[in-house]
Amino acid sequence: MLLIQDVIKRYGALTALNKVSLQVEAGEFFGLLGPNGAGKSTLMSLVSGLRAPDAGTITLDGQALNTADAAGRLALGLVPQHIALYQELSPDQNLRIFGQLYGLRGSLLHERVEEALVAVQLTDRRKDQVKHFSGGMQRRLNLAAALLHRPKLLLCDEPTVGVDPQSRNAIFEYLERLNRAGLTIIYSTHYMEEATRLCSRIGVIDHGEILAHGTLDELLTRLPFEDEIRFPANPETAGLAAQLPAHGELATLDGTHRFRPRADYRLSTFFLLAESLGLPARLFTSQRPTLEALFLHLTGRNIRE
Amino acid sequence: MRILLILLGKDFANLRRNRAALVLTFVVPMIIIYIVGLVFGLGRTDSGPTGIPFAVVNESDNPAALKLVAALQAEKSFFVITQFVNPDKTTRPLTEADLRPMIRDRRFSYALVIPPDVLSDTRLGLRLKILADPRNDIEDQIVNGILQKTIFSNVPQLLGQSLQARAKKFLGAAGVDTFNRAIVRDVVATFGGNPDQILADMQKGNFGFDRLTQRLAPAPGGQAGSAGPDIFSRIMQIDREQVVGKDVKSPAATRIVGGYAVMFLLFALSNSAAAFFDEKNSGVFQRLLSSPVSRAQLLWSRFLYGVLFGLGQLMALFYAGHLLYGVDIFGHLGNLLIVCASVAAACTGFGMLLAAITRSAQAASSLATLLVITMSACGGAWFPVSLMPQFMQHIARYTLVYWSIEGFSAVLWAGESFVQLLPILGILLGTTAVVMSIAVWRFNRSAIFE
Repeated sequence: MLLIQDVIKRYGALTALNKVSLQVEAGEFFGLLGPNGAGKSTLMSLVSGLRAPDAGTITLDGQALNTADAAGRLALGLVPQHIALYQELSPDQNLRIFGQLYGLRGSLLHERVEEALVAVQLTDRRKDQVKHFSGGMQRRLNLAAALLHRPKLLLCDEPTVGVDPQSRNAIFEYLERLNRAGLTIIYSTHYMEEATRLCSRIGVIDHGEILAHGTLDELLTRLPFEDEIRFPANPETAGLAAQLPAHGELATLDGTHRFRPRADYRLSTFFLLAESLGLPARLFTSQRPTLEALFLHLTGRNIRE
Repeated sequence: MRILLILLGKDFANLRRNRAALVLTFVVPMIIIYIVGLVFGLGRTDSGPTGIPFAVVNESDNPAALKLVAALQAEKSFFVITQFVNPDKTTRPLTEADLRPMIRDRRFSYALVIPPDVLSDTRLGLRLKILADPRNDIEDQIVNGILQKTIFSNVPQLLGQSLQARAKKFLGAAGVDTFNRAIVRDVVATFGGNPDQILADMQKGNFGFDRLTQRLAPAPGGQAGSAGPDIFSRIMQIDREQVVGKDVKSPAATRIVGGYAVMFLLFALSNSAAAFFDEKNSGVFQRLLSSPVSRAQLLWSRFLYGVLFGLGQLMALFYAGHLLYGVDIFGHLGNLLIVCASVAAACTGFGMLLAAITRSAQAASSLATLLVITMSACGGAWFPVSLMPQFMQHIARYTLVYWSIEGFSAVLWAGESFVQLLPILGILLGTTAVVMSIAVWRFNRSAIFE
């Protein structure tokens, strides 16, 4: 469906995207995971036609997407990172304006606006000014405005920034429903849990390059370990920590050691070593590897840094 | 105390960073003070206005009439025009017949005709003729005042000649000569002096009235001594002909409403242009441009909005002028709509250019305040341009405000036809085309759409 090939985008001396290639199939919920400044929004803006790449091609169903092709953008819906709504107007007015821009008229427009208001639970506030809404309500409306014309591909650029957990959950459920109904979604985020929960495939991006992409399971198999053992970083565990790098990766974050043993290193060996150092078992927790671990493995740093 | 100093330092640091506040705090008031000061003659070596175009046609061969022309030419307030420039750049003396079309063409607003019968043996005193386009009430008062002063300072000899002519009519030439010699004899006997000189002065009409009229001469504002106007009207017959705007009820209102309307339109449209940045920052541009909307459509829709908004605002303000001061808008509705639309287009282009050359709403807003106030003061929204020094009058011609007011005056004061309005419309629409071209070029090169 969406094919991105060798796309390069520069801002002066800064290379925001460096030979990015991706393919997103119809019906996928594709996550673009990376820290702030990784190039997610730039890639979204190229796909949505706001900017033109310096090199490379972007096609949707074989048709090139570019800034000059306004009609080609009918197949796209963009949920911008910001609340891209007219704050002085009501939800009803906002949806009508954006619907009309996509060519909706008359009863079809009315029908779609009604559906959108119901879907984002704003029917009873339809005449109020958007500026008086909570952040969560505005985010929901921001999403609805991108869906009126029933796009083939929905681009969500960090659509839950600053949203309370309840509204975030409502947005997730709505997106999941849409995806189940067949809508292809590209969802950029720097929240691991969002990508883990929502996305059928994930692309990890940093410094303008796609470091890895695939399903969650496929990505996690790229890690040279299957489990992660966590224990407190303190003088009591310092002796143990000193011996572990020989058997796998050891990282320390927020006062916690995270040990990812190599595949040939048995957990029973680890616990025997801990016991021999007089460390009780209650100090240790074992977890399956996460996207965070993958990002750390791929970039050498935490995604929040 | 330490906390107070820290908080104080914070406020000054914020102020130092806030260019808009600095401009509004220091630069804008300084410009206003400078311009208003110039208008009221502060810091100028001369006082009053300079270089008001003033045509003079001298149809008399009387030497005193020539002296009056020379006096007008020496008056700094006037730029005296006596020659008509032909299309081939050759010149000839102006005639009265040239004056009316030239006044209608706004080549000048005032003209003095000294007729062949400036002196007559059938009446006492002088006869002069003034042709005027008093579209600017303040300028009109000032021109009249300066003109009266200049004539009073130079008229005594003419007045004396007038008395001599009247005496000759009643007494005959020989009788007047006898009468003059008798007077000279008595004067010399009583006060002394050279009898030949006194006789020559009397025959030239030099009776010493200049010392009398100097005391009675009106000030430039038109105010004279207590007896001045009466004496002036008895010895001076000035036929005044208003060439333009005879039927206008409220000339001052035409200028005031037009000037302030265009100033507030510029403010409104500049704010509207600054809203560009709000739409960009809110992501609305992203949403619009990801839909089937092109950059050109976005820009031109904003331009059209500005024109319609401006047209609505201007017409509403002129309607208010109609209700409050009787400005006649319905007699010229079609042309007024065309001029208002042209002014709105130029002002919208100005606002969009501001948005295109600045990087934030705050920068656009502060630059707009600076330019709008400066243009309004220089362009004649607050004071008639003619009251400013000549260099300011030249600067005024490069402002939208000046040409907007010219357009409003041409319609509401002079009642000009569409064809006559074309030069002003050309300037306004030409300005629109130029500033919009620059704005669109800048928008396409800037990051406002990204």
